[in-house]
Amino acid sequence: MARETAVALDGVRKTYRIGEPVHALDGVTLEVPRGSYTAIMGPSGSGKSTLMNLVGCLDTPTAGTVAVGGRTIGTLGDRERTRLRGTEVGFVFQTFNLMPRLNALENVALPQLFRGIDRAERRERARDLLERVGLGDRTDHLPNELSGGQRQRVALARALVNDPAIVLADEPSGNLDTDTEADILDLFDEFHAAGTTMLVVTHERHVAERADRIVHLLDGTIERIEELDGSASDGVTTDSIAGRESEPGADSE
Amino acid sequence: MNPLESLRLSWRSIRGHKLRSALTTLGIVIGIAAVIAFVTLGASLQAGIIGDISPDDQRNVYGWAAEPDTEGGPLAGAQPVFTQDDLEAVEELEDVDAAYGYANIQMQTVSNGNETVAQGNGLIASGPSYIREERLAEGRQFRMGEREAVLNPAAANQFEENVTVGDELTVTIFGGQQTTLEVVGITDTSEGQSPFEGFESSPRIYVPTDPYYTEQAAALSGGGDDTETDTGSDVRFLAIIVEAPSADDDDIDAARESATAYLESDRSDASELMGDDLAVRFRTSTELLQQLQDVLDLLRNFIVGIAAISLLVGSIGIANIMLVSVTERTREIGIMKAIGAQNRDVLGLFLTESVILGVIGSVLGTGLGLLGGYLGAQYIDLPLVYPLEYVALAVVVGMLVGIVAGLYPAWRAARTDPIDALRYE
Repeated sequence: MARETAVALDGVRKTYRIGEPVHALDGVTLEVPRGSYTAIMGPSGSGKSTLMNLVGCLDTPTAGTVAVGGRTIGTLGDRERTRLRGTEVGFVFQTFNLMPRLNALENVALPQLFRGIDRAERRERARDLLERVGLGDRTDHLPNELSGGQRQRVALARALVNDPAIVLADEPSGNLDTDTEADILDLFDEFHAAGTTMLVVTHERHVAERADRIVHLLDGTIERIEELDGSASDGVTTDSIAGRESEPGADSE
Repeated sequence: MNPLESLRLSWRSIRGHKLRSALTTLGIVIGIAAVIAFVTLGASLQAGIIGDISPDDQRNVYGWAAEPDTEGGPLAGAQPVFTQDDLEAVEELEDVDAAYGYANIQMQTVSNGNETVAQGNGLIASGPSYIREERLAEGRQFRMGEREAVLNPAAANQFEENVTVGDELTVTIFGGQQTTLEVVGITDTSEGQSPFEGFESSPRIYVPTDPYYTEQAAALSGGGDDTETDTGSDVRFLAIIVEAPSADDDDIDAARESATAYLESDRSDASELMGDDLAVRFRTSTELLQQLQDVLDLLRNFIVGIAAISLLVGSIGIANIMLVSVTERTREIGIMKAIGAQNRDVLGLFLTESVILGVIGSVLGTGLGLLGGYLGAQYIDLPLVYPLEYVALAVVVGMLVGIVAGLYPAWRAARTDPIDALRYE
């Protein structure tokens, strides 16, 4: 299972104690197979961010288990969790979150710097990835010299640099205009086709429809899982890889 | 993450805030520069005042009788107790090469032919070997019992026509008596020959205690009546200089001990007057200088203390800026942690940054301080002495300041929660 499953959540509960205990996630069980493309949708407060933090090894569950790349994060210390985050997870944020004083190449190479990889090797790798996202000629530009779409490409390249088990994208096109959004999502498709596991959190139906399936969250539980070959099921999905044809939104978002 | 990478990233963020970094380091620059400039000036002052003590003075011990608990420099609390007989007896002691009295005779004027200049101080009566032959630029030492004198250049040059060996001068003593002296030698320096005189440059005339001091003392005490008695045993000297056979510590101690033992025994004339109240103390010039040096050290420590306060202020400045910087870069810290930066990586980055600021500050401060010390020494006309150990210390202190000031902010940065940090706007 560890080989095939990029991320596995089993009975995950996350409780915040600010006055009254609040269950941000309440018994979520979900498997994200390797090579799959999953979208997570849900209204504000449905637990999307908490789910992201757990899968991204930024946080630990109150109950249940979260396994990323075959390793259960609840039992790991902070240092191990950080290492796992660096190697097994690639983040793409809505606000890009690039380091403002590092150029594109250095930004992409940064995760490997923290892994202690040799300078020449990581620059080589970063250059290669920047070429794949179409920014081969922008390697020495600072983030503020790049457009929003270009910054998100840099962020995607950075997310991919350590060959992670999963790429986590949080509203990746939220700050982009329609054309640029399409470009980025096309790029996601391209990497997915090449074998990258994608998990995208979004508000927008047309973004979610690029995925194989959509997980609908509501009040900390999985409301339903929508397989984008047309059917909908609830509970844990099978490893079905559905077609990526989008279907007009029947979902109430 | 290796240190070189930390250095590279930290340097990047320092350069990202040029003005802020410059102002932050300024506190350290001023602190270090002040410390180094003052320490340099202190060392130069020390060298200027006591640097060129003649090494042949090293075998002299300077003695006087005073109450045992008197504090102070040469001749502090001294009472005139030593007679000529005492001096002769001390000179006869096995461990002593020579012994003679020392006295500073108050005078009014010195005349060279028709030209008279006022000079109140600097008629110094002692033994012939008080002026070492090596210190003579011209002529020879004076002889005991003769009306002869050795002048220093400042004394010789104070007349329109410079005094040379063979000239005759007339001196008016404080009481009004006039006496003549024949110049037999000129010294090579106008600085003092011993700690009794002080070390500053001023006109000085060196004469034998006999006849000059004995005559003057007899005139003052007896009003003329005692002149037929043996002046040699009646005159009391305030100070005594004993020469050991060599500058070796053992020889000096032996000379000092046997002279003290003799003078405090009943055999000496001095013991009659000293009684139980006074004790003889013998000091080498090194020991006497030590007192002066202690004062200078105290002064220097005081100034360095003030400068250290400015260093403290500088380090608070670094800590403050680093805290601001940590807050300002909360999001960057979150990003770094999200992509796999360990706590110690973040800690290292911020610590490196503050150490860089500290080191740059101390290097610039050192340069500025050395320059300031140089200009100061030039201005006051002192020999320039750089205390290099302090320069090294300043750089180390700069690094330490960087570490200490950066530790808390860096620690705060390291334990920033990445979830909060990524949400931070």
